[in-house]
Amino acid sequence: MDVSYLRQQSGVAAMTVIIGFEGSANKIGIGIIRDGEVLSNPRRTYITPPGQGFMPSDTARHHRAVILTVLKEALEEAGLKPADIDGVAYTKGPGMGAPLVTVALVARTVAQLWGKPLLGVNHCVGHIEMGRLITKANNPTVLYVSGGNTQVIAYSERRYRIFGETIDIAVGNCLDRFARVIKVKSKISNDPSPGYNIEQMAKKGTQYVELPYTVKGMDVSFSGILSYIEEAAHKMLSSDQCTAEDLCFSLQETVFSMLVEITERAMAHCGSQEVLIVGGVGCNLRLQEMMGVMCKERGAKLFATDERFCIDNGAMIAQAGWEMFRSGQVTKLEDSWITQRYRTDEVEVTWRD
Amino acid sequence: MADPEFFRGAQLLKQGAEARLYRARFLGKPTIVKERFPKCYRHPVLDEKLTHRRTVQEVRSILRCRRAGISAPVVYFVDYKSHCIFLEEIVGSSTVRDYISSTQSKSCKERELEHLAEHIGQILAKMHDEDVIHGDLTTSNMLLRCVLNVGESELILIDFGLSYISALPEDKGVDLYVLEKAFLSTHPNTEELFEKLLKSYAASSKRSSAVIKKLDEVRLRGRKRSMVG
Amino acid sequence: MHVTHELELFPDNNVTQMLFKEVKNAAELRQSAVEGKLNAALINPTMLVNHFQVLVAANKAVHLQKSGKMKTKSLYSEIIFNLSPTNNISEAFKRFGISDGDDAVMLVLVHSKDESQLVSDLAARVDGQQVPVEDLSSLSDAAKIKKLYKITPQEEKCGTVLDAVVCRMATKDVM
Repeated sequence: MDVSYLRQQSGVAAMTVIIGFEGSANKIGIGIIRDGEVLSNPRRTYITPPGQGFMPSDTARHHRAVILTVLKEALEEAGLKPADIDGVAYTKGPGMGAPLVTVALVARTVAQLWGKPLLGVNHCVGHIEMGRLITKANNPTVLYVSGGNTQVIAYSERRYRIFGETIDIAVGNCLDRFARVIKVKSKISNDPSPGYNIEQMAKKGTQYVELPYTVKGMDVSFSGILSYIEEAAHKMLSSDQCTAEDLCFSLQETVFSMLVEITERAMAHCGSQEVLIVGGVGCNLRLQEMMGVMCKERGAKLFATDERFCIDNGAMIAQAGWEMFRSGQVTKLEDSWITQRYRTDEVEVTWRD
Repeated sequence: MADPEFFRGAQLLKQGAEARLYRARFLGKPTIVKERFPKCYRHPVLDEKLTHRRTVQEVRSILRCRRAGISAPVVYFVDYKSHCIFLEEIVGSSTVRDYISSTQSKSCKERELEHLAEHIGQILAKMHDEDVIHGDLTTSNMLLRCVLNVGESELILIDFGLSYISALPEDKGVDLYVLEKAFLSTHPNTEELFEKLLKSYAASSKRSSAVIKKLDEVRLRGRKRSMVG
Repeated sequence: MHVTHELELFPDNNVTQMLFKEVKNAAELRQSAVEGKLNAALINPTMLVNHFQVLVAANKAVHLQKSGKMKTKSLYSEIIFNLSPTNNISEAFKRFGISDGDDAVMLVLVHSKDESQLVSDLAARVDGQQVPVEDLSSLSDAAKIKKLYKITPQEEKCGTVLDAVVCRMATKDVM
């Protein structure tokens, strides 16, 4: 057993330093956290040509190529040696299999080399804990929106419970696929992300085009929008009834309204007065603005972070790992596998009351 | 337009996500006024369309349910301009949510809870047989009212704002899925109770097998979703 | 004898209902109403369950008048139209208006607070016996009402006939 862990158990006040490895999708990030302070958080993004999504094996290859450079950066920027680290956190899931395996392998290797305990982190819980750390939100209703996830989460009885979610595709996936299917002169770029470029184009949109709006209880559905865009909206586009910018604008107005609505429903349901937005789509300023208006109307508070922490990064895994470590939850070597499907509510939150 | 004085005299019961509920006397009767107010975060065109659509859907589904003998509040008046629905107040009722929360801890009441779950299953089966999809099934959207001299409680469905008419098993399955999630997240450790509800649903509806099959599919979709990123 | 109710949503509007039996001048009253010389709605009481039904119709009529969305020409014809479960205007008058040979009539007027004189003037024009509005129950034809509003036995399990009637009246514009 690690010495600092013993120190912790015996009640001796000591700083805990955790390094976190994240690579569940097209970002590879390694971050180091020391008791709530982000010491370093370097990251690389695997960017594909316009019109193309990222494939698991290519993404894993990208991560393999850069992970040691990123690790070196993280340690150097933090000014730490491996001996200063107390635990090695890595993303256990959910995510793409091949990239997850690649990153977990490196995490396992360094943990054994350095003689440090492993901490297998749920990616979604990482987002939530990072959001709570950065914004100081106490007990927020969480909207987690990214390329693979769309969930409204609230904490109760040792679990992050999912109150609402998408019943088909994630909102980020909807944006990505929209960027791929929309027929414009030059395809919407994946650099830095399709969502970011849709956001910029939406600012120039003026005309609101009605798109399918599907809220079921606290759940949402986005697949109808894509098929609608492919058919009806494309006809409007080709006959100059609307512009690509109008469609970007209308898409954002529609999907974000749905997200704000289910968040508000969950807040009303739980009696919550705080909202935290996390995940890659969470750095969209229009989404934040709309959520802010909703919060103001309810007398609630909005917490959001910028792209450094919204988008997948290593520090968020380190932060959730830090919480696990401090509450005595470590992952044995034989349990340090990865899983592509790992629901947020499967994790026992041992660090909260 | 209705007199703004009216709302000043009314008692604000609840500010929900998209509507305010007032208690007032209307045409001499105890009435609940459901006012859908504008949501400033969304585009005004979208807001107006959604609000109008939901007001219409709500009163349509209420009538359809009542015609089938499913209790839902009587509609007294609808103002489509201010998006207000004037509904019968279900006097002396409590939500199923409150009932379960207060009963769950008492072990002697287990049988009562099971009975309630079975009753809910029957009512929902009846509703789906009428092709009404509630769209927002939660234990807060079901009321219980004691019926004197019968000894049994009457179950009343409310809040049909997200409802619509559909015969598709998929829509009915999602309706149950929405309830299942709301039920289990609101009332921890009630998996068995909810199973009883589903069993009773399956036994009560002629077309339940396709619906339950879809429910299983939708559940699996949730677990199997790749959740990348 | 008569019943007056203030409309909560439109505080300066009172609805007064007067019920008459053994009416001998139904034809004359109907003619006056058609010519606009009698400012009241003349309703066939066999189609009324309860005075609340009339209030619901009157409230809706005043609301539509104020928002300029009436489907018929006058406030009083609108009250009669609102009683009907369908959107067919002539059908509504046939079922809910009075016929020349009728011997019972419900007279409904909408007025401001200080117009009680108007109420007694109108009452004087009816050649018949005014009875309490509560007597409606003895005049109304439950079987006919259930048939016209298409009320099923199963619906009666979850509410009264009045509930069923009012619900249809309130929602008919979106059916």
